[in-house]
Order: sequence, then structure tokens, then C-alpha cells
Amino acid sequence: MAGELLKVDDLKMHFHTRDGVVKAVDGVSYTLNPGETLGVVGESGSGKSVTALTMMRLIPMPPGKIEGGEVLFKGESMLTMKEEQVRDIRGNRIAMIFQDPMTSLNPVYRIGHQIAEPLITHKGMSKKEAHARAVELLEMVGIPNAASRARDYPHQFSGGMRQRAMIAMALSCDPDVLIADEPTTALDVTIQAQILELMQALQKRTGTAIIMITHDLGVVADIANNILVMYAGRAVEYGSTDQVFYEPSHPYTWGLMDSLPTHDLTEKSTLCPIEGQPPSLLNVPSGCPFNPRCPYVKEECRTTVPELRDLGDGHLSACLFAADPDFKRSAADCAGVTR
Amino acid sequence: MFRYILKRFAQFIPVFIGVTLLLFFITTILPGDPVALRAGEKKLSPAVYAEMRHAFGLDKPWYVQYVNYLGDLTQGDLGTSIASGRKVEVIFKETYPYTLKLALAAITLEILVGIGAGLISAIKQYTFWDTLVTLSTSILVALPVFWLGIMLQYVFGIQLHILPISGASSARFSDFAHLVLPAITLASVSTAYAARIMRSQLLEVQSQDYVRTAYAKGLSPTRVLWGHEMKNALIPVVTFVGLDLGAMLSGAILTETIFNWPGVGFTIYKAIGQRDFPVVFGGVTIVLFAVLFVNLLVDVSYAFLDPRIRFGDASEG
Ligand SMILES: Nc1ncnc2c1ncn2[C@@H]1O[C@H](COP(=O)(O)OP(=O)(O)OP(=O)(O)O)[C@@H](O)[C@H]1O
Ligand SMILES: [Mg+2]
Repeated sequence: MAGELLKVDDLKMHFHTRDGVVKAVDGVSYTLNPGETLGVVGESGSGKSVTALTMMRLIPMPPGKIEGGEVLFKGESMLTMKEEQVRDIRGNRIAMIFQDPMTSLNPVYRIGHQIAEPLITHKGMSKKEAHARAVELLEMVGIPNAASRARDYPHQFSGGMRQRAMIAMALSCDPDVLIADEPTTALDVTIQAQILELMQALQKRTGTAIIMITHDLGVVADIANNILVMYAGRAVEYGSTDQVFYEPSHPYTWGLMDSLPTHDLTEKSTLCPIEGQPPSLLNVPSGCPFNPRCPYVKEECRTTVPELRDLGDGHLSACLFAADPDFKRSAADCAGVTR
Repeated sequence: MFRYILKRFAQFIPVFIGVTLLLFFITTILPGDPVALRAGEKKLSPAVYAEMRHAFGLDKPWYVQYVNYLGDLTQGDLGTSIASGRKVEVIFKETYPYTLKLALAAITLEILVGIGAGLISAIKQYTFWDTLVTLSTSILVALPVFWLGIMLQYVFGIQLHILPISGASSARFSDFAHLVLPAITLASVSTAYAARIMRSQLLEVQSQDYVRTAYAKGLSPTRVLWGHEMKNALIPVVTFVGLDLGAMLSGAILTETIFNWPGVGFTIYKAIGQRDFPVVFGGVTIVLFAVLFVNLLVDVSYAFLDPRIRFGDASEG
């Protein structure tokens, strides 16, 4: 497709450590079109952050090593371009915000200065212009008294305000893509909702495409156009939000959905967490990586590595039986936690 | 800020009284008599001896001497040297500049070489330069200072004849040349520590989230280093160097003695030998005030580097 903004194709990032090779990202593909939102979902340690950082070339190599794949930004390879070119893209065309707003801002510099920095670097603004713009950006993300708050240091901001400041910094150069790596995980629930709302509102205004990384399917349900489900460093399901929510076709995705709490408190609902632990990435099980935890496991799952296959309409699944009409999700009948 | 300084001063008073009181007490149990030592070989008549003891207030009990000392101190009077009969203020007015000069030279060396080496070592981690710095700092830390001083004297003074080994000035060498070996000796161990602290701090800062944020903004490694990492990494280094400067301003007894450097440390050392108590007390008084001053300076610069620290906060002290 010509309009593709970002295309990731079979990306592999392995860490060569003393204990062995950690296959943190082992075959991830997706495309992102301008203005769209992609949700990247998976348990802790499934390689979501490493995927994003690899695209931005922010993983130190060594110990990291790109074992294959491609990242195309506007048709150009991010993985082979010169360091200076990547730097021109970082914070300018593709910006990032991180999980922990408490540690992601430099404690010894003023908020305004930190927001102004990308503008000075990429837009050639003077310090004064950049600072004035930083104040406007703080206003835009809903910080009251922005002019005076810009002179504050991070420790004078609450967690929610810091994440707003991070968003202001990320959007300062009007990027094409905003990568948000679990931007609300460290915040309490009411603030989470506010931050998500803010991001949606800003997206509407600026047309920025968003990659929303989260371990919570619920977070992306309302905002994503497409969803990528990751397990053990691999893409296991990919499709439009409707496809993934209404016709989920990987047992891991089913498990993620069953572990979503329903907000209907009148009925007794069951919460069915996925049994077991995600595999060590040093030693991924043979065959399908999910097979030791899969309630639907069959003999072939232990020997055959499933490929991501198209089920039609661009809905991809890496389950050997996804296309099998008899292979169905059974009602959640786990021992489960009843509440 | 002003209140903070006042508070620090108030905290200083008990420390000052504790140290000087202890010192006065020690002098009473120390063998040796300053008046007899001053007279040397020749015997004093009992009348003259008694009169001299009275003149220096030595005939009074030590606590009376102490109160007199404090009383004189509030007048800015540090007393009179028993050994030379000169005013103690005058003696230290002459010697303090030498201590100051040596301390500044040593601290400059420590900052330039210590921070520089630590910086290179961290940036070029696991390269030849890193190994060189790590190895040489380990050795420096383990070397006794007096041994290093004597070795420097031997090599550069006695063997090569290119640097003086004693005193602060001479006809043959420039004053600067006189400063070189004492400054290196005094700075050696702290320079090694400064380099190690700098290295470990920088490496630690490099793995912080805000450094990743800085790279994600598109800053170059140089900009990230100077614009984001250094200020954070310097905070502990500044504390260390500052405290060290305090110690150096107190007169480096060991270094000054090895090199016959006419500073405060050497003066106190000589005065102890002569039981010249007014000079010892005067020296200690000056040293205590110097330490107080430097510690204040360190705190102020610390707050300048780290905005999370602010003055006037009741929880700080
Ligand atoms: N420098 C590294 N060396 C070795 N292993 C690493 C390194 N960085 C990351 N990993 C491993 O890569 C795996 C994927 O990590 P990643 O941070 O991408 O997970 P994640 O999906 O973002 O999880 P979370 O939800 O906890 O943020 C983890 O198992 C982690 O231990
Ligand atoms: Mg993560």
C-alpha cells in the first residue's frame, strides 16, 4: 500500500547475554497508516517495549542484535539508514512516551526546558521561541498556569502531570507517529482515563498516528484501529479491532479476553486468568510457544512452529488451527476467580 | 538562604566547643613543658620560669585557660606563641596563604584529572583507556601518601634534578615548580577516588530512563552527555571534591611536613613538637572555620546542581 507510514516486517531482536540468547523480539510484523492507532497487546515480558525501541534504534548493540526483518518509515529503512538520519526522525517524525513518568523526565532540568529541547534540535528555534512554544504545549495538554509551571522541576509535578508533560514533549514537533509505551500503567485509574482521553483528543487535532502499547486489551478496545497481540516475542494475532474483538482466533487472545474484568457488577462474573507463566525467552518451548499454557493444545502444537497466516481480510493468526471451522473457543469454564 | 546559613552556624557551635575542649584536655595530660622547651639547654631560674608561665596563663587550671581562650577568641585574639613570642594571628596570616595555594593547586588537579579520567573511562568503557584508568586508580588508592611523596622527591628531585623537593621558594626554582610535587602528592588519592566516583556515576546515569527519553528526542550522544547526564552524575562528585577541599584547607599535615611546605599543617606539626599550645589552638580554630565554610559552599553548590534540594526546609540540615 502506498499510504503506509510505518511498516515492520518480521523484525527480530535478540540479546546475546552470558546466559544465552534472549529472543526478545522474534518475528513481529505490522503496518501503520497515517492517523491510525495500532494497539500492541501482550503480557509483561512479551517484547512490546523492545519492539518499539528496536524500531527507533534505541537498543544498545551489543548486547542487542537485529537478527532479521525490516522497519520502513515512509518507505525508507530505519535499520540501515545513517545514525544522523535516525536522529532526525527521533522526537521529530516519530516520538515516544514511556511507562514511568516519574523517572522519564530529567530531575535536574526545568520542565519547560525539557519540552523545548526537541524544538531547538529539530526546528531550529531559538531558546526563547522554543520556551514560548513549550508553554503553549503545556497549555494544550491541560496544565493550568502553564507559564509558571514550565519553570517547575519534575519533582514539583504529580505523576499525571508529568505524563502530560511527556505528551507535550512528544508532540512538540508535530510527529507523524507517537509511540506510547504503557503510558498509563503507572498512574491511578482516574488519571489513566484522563490521559487516554487527552491522547485521543490530541490525535483528532493533529492527525498523529499512535502505537499504543499496553498489557490491557481494555485500554485499546475503544481507541485502536488495529490490534497486534504479542506472545513470547512473536506476533500471534493481528487484525482490525473488530476482528480481534469479535472473531479472536488465537487461544492466547481468548485467554486475554477472559482475563478482562467485566464492569457489570450486577451479575457475578468470572475472571479467568491464563494459567501458568510466560516462557523464558532464553528457552522458548519448541513448536507453538504458547503450547504449554494452551487449554486447546494438540499433538502438532508441540512440534510445528505456526506461521502467521491470513484468515482473510488481513486478519492474521499464528495458531495452527485458526482456520479450522471446528476449532472454537469454549465458554470460560475455568476454576476462575468468582467475584 | 540566610536562615539556612545561620542554622548551619548554630549547628557548628557545639562541634567547635567539643573539639577545642577535647584538645585543651589533651594538652593537660601531654608530657612536656612549652616554657622549658623554649629555653632549650640553658636552665631558667625558678623566678623567671614562674613569671613566664604566668605570662602565658599556664599557671591556671586548664578550664580557666579554656574560658580565657574563648574570651580572647571573641575579640579576634588567638594569643601569643610561647616558642617565638609572636602573635598567633600573625603566624597564620603568613602561613595560611601557603596552605590555600597548595589546596587550590591540588583541587584543580583533582578536578581536571579526576573528573577527566573518570569521564573518559566511562565513555570508553571496556577499552584500553578504561582499563588504564581503573588499574591506575586502584594502585593510587592503595599507595601510602608519604611513600608516594618520598618517591616523587627521589625521582624528580634527587635523580632528575628537575623539581625542588623542599620549601615553597628558592633561588634556583620558580614558585610554581615548588608547588608541583606537593600538589601531586596531596591530590593523588582523592584524584583516584574522584575518577572512580565519576566513572561509576556516569555509567549509572546512562541507564536511567530520562537518558533514554533524551535519546528518543533525537539528541546526539554529545548533547545527551553534556545536557542530560553530566549534571546528574556530577552531584556526588561535587560532594566528594568539596569535602576534600575542606580537608585540604585544614592543612595537609603529612604532605606539608614531607615537603617542608610552610603552611598551616606544617606549622601545627611543629607547634605540637614544641608544645606551643596557643599556636596549636589557633591553628585548629582556623581549620575548623575553614571546614565550616567549605561545607557550606558544598551544600550551596549541591542545591544549585540538584533542584530537589532547597534551603529552609526543616527536614534538611
Ligand atoms: N538488554 C537486555 N538484555 C537481555 N534481555 C533483555 C534486555 N532488554 C530486554 N530484555 C528482555 O526482553 C524481553 C522483552 O522485554 P520487553 O521490555 O520488551 O517486554 P514488555 O512486553 O515491554 O513487558 P512490560 O509489559 O513489562 O513492559 C524481556 O524478557 C526482557 O528480559
Ligand atoms: Mg515494556
